Amino acid sequence: MLQFGRFVIVRAMMAMTTLIIVSLVVFTLMELVPGDCAERYLAFKNTQGSGISVEDIEIERQRLGLDRPFLVRWSSWIVNAFQGEYGDSCILRVNIAQLLGDKFMLSLAICLAALALAYAIAIPVGIISAASNNPFLNNGLRLFSYLGLAMPNFLLALMIMLVSTIWFGETLTGLFSKEYRDAPWDWDKFVDLLKHAWLPIFILGWSATAFALQTVRALMSDEIGKLYVTAASARGVFGRKLLWRYPARHALGPIVNSLGFDLNRIFNELPIVALILTLTEAGALLIEALARSNDQQLAGAIIFLLTASIVTLNFFTDILLAVIDPRVRKSILR
Amino acid sequence: MSLLNVENLTLQFDTDEGRITAVDNVSFSLEPGEVMGLVGESGSGKSVTAKSLMKLNAGNGHYTPESKITLHLDDGPVDVMSLKTPREMQVVRGGAISMIFQEPMASFAPALTIGKQMVEQLLIHSDMTKKQAKELSIEMLDRVGISDAATRFGQYAFEMSGGMRQRAMIAMALSTKPKLLIADEPTTALDVTIQAQVIDLMKDLVDEFHMGIIFITHDLGVVAQTADKVAVMYLGRMIEQGPVRDVIRRPQHPYTQGLLDALPKLDDLEAPLTPVAGDIPSPLERPSGCVFHTRCPKIIGDVCKRDVPQWADTGENHRTACHLCAEKGEAA
Repeated sequence: MLQFGRFVIVRAMMAMTTLIIVSLVVFTLMELVPGDCAERYLAFKNTQGSGISVEDIEIERQRLGLDRPFLVRWSSWIVNAFQGEYGDSCILRVNIAQLLGDKFMLSLAICLAALALAYAIAIPVGIISAASNNPFLNNGLRLFSYLGLAMPNFLLALMIMLVSTIWFGETLTGLFSKEYRDAPWDWDKFVDLLKHAWLPIFILGWSATAFALQTVRALMSDEIGKLYVTAASARGVFGRKLLWRYPARHALGPIVNSLGFDLNRIFNELPIVALILTLTEAGALLIEALARSNDQQLAGAIIFLLTASIVTLNFFTDILLAVIDPRVRKSILR
Repeated sequence: MSLLNVENLTLQFDTDEGRITAVDNVSFSLEPGEVMGLVGESGSGKSVTAKSLMKLNAGNGHYTPESKITLHLDDGPVDVMSLKTPREMQVVRGGAISMIFQEPMASFAPALTIGKQMVEQLLIHSDMTKKQAKELSIEMLDRVGISDAATRFGQYAFEMSGGMRQRAMIAMALSTKPKLLIADEPTTALDVTIQAQVIDLMKDLVDEFHMGIIFITHDLGVVAQTADKVAVMYLGRMIEQGPVRDVIRRPQHPYTQGLLDALPKLDDLEAPLTPVAGDIPSPLERPSGCVFHTRCPKIIGDVCKRDVPQWADTGENHRTACHLCAEKGEAA
């Protein structure tokens, strides 16, 4: 137990280090974008018709503290970022934390729900399909997987919207009904969210399930043929106990490892789905920040939040992995 | 009474390329306390034969109706072929029969402690409590010469050396006090000194537990050291069986002779090694008649290609399936 506590602390410190390094990379990337926040804002102002001089830019730069050395700016940014404070958006001139509000958390929740859905289906189904030799089950699953892998998410979203509009007269867009959109959080708002969120969760979850299912099946088929499984059945272990205690437990390690990667993938797919389903609350803001307005401050904040979520998820999967597999535990502590 | 009777065991596998005969009409018996060496090249069907005793072969295997395996236990005979459900099969899987595999590393589950796997097996096959099972497991680990057994009990296979793993495997296999132990090349993956230790250990334990052992190996040297009798297999057929000394001194089948000639001789290092000529044919193209005729240096004509040789007595309890021996027998 003491050993395990040490493992958790070591892992947490590693996660923290990763996050700090990532923040440096993110911050450097923000800086590498040609022009800084001051220039960008004033250029934006310029297009609105107000004349801007070089002096104005210089004053703005000093006001934003952009004349300080790089490392100082990075450290103040990172210290603030860990406290959930990301400064003002370059263009909108609004505090980013306020601008994001629930949006980031909502996006993350949708992605995590899709991830959970994917694995809740893929793990048991993948294990059962690897263990059984039923050709109908296996071919059916293959078809489902290939559809999920081959069909782009936006197409699926469009199809579902089309069907629901024609047959049910319901457009299924947005994350909230009108009356709840700006209402404070309460139970009714949450229920309303669930009523709307199942669709993006389902769409994002399908391809993720298809992907995870193939992985689980392949790993499990691999593991089932191993000698220790034969050895266990030679000792009289059989049925569900044999399946879960022996091959399944050992096949799950690499699957747990891929969770972080999958979250990243789902998050990348979210903006397109969000665009089609007009989920203004999610995803779309990142595209806005990155592609349209070059708002480096906003984009940096979103990317930092995203990587922080992935690093956090990886931290938890590492702990989980160590619980499942003693080799992982020992390799860290030696 | 014999401990084990195997009669006309034939096992075929359905594969994408067609039906493969892995074991062809094999018969033998084993007395309690007797050690039988099962010898042959890779692909000769030794492991498959042994696994048949526990019905451990893959789902695409089919036993012919004539196949018969009978295990004589204290409370009556067990017809192994008639065991259907996994629960029924527990009597031969870990109950009366235990098996040790070639690779001790791969035969322990990597993420379960040695102890958990030992206790699990004891709980299946006895009425012990968890505590009793743990005590017995530690005692068994101690018996096979693992020092600090209580600590080792809580360790994983990857934390042990190869020799220690195989000792632990032996401890686990013997903890349920089986009547028959199948050892599938138990020493092949170990280096020579450890190999000798493990063999000695097994010999001691056999005397003590008085069980039958089937020792599968391709190493005739190991057989000479350990076994009472030996059976030689080639392409799924048993071609010669008899007392170990007699078979090694006077091998009758050309294949057995070939195997013995292929061994390096320490007293004459200049002597060239003479491997058995040719390769094992593909199981999809089983030779007709005597399965060995395609490689046999002493082939006597069409009879070898046409007729399956019958057993001929070639000494006391020594039988050989070869047309050469049948002719000699008739002539005498």
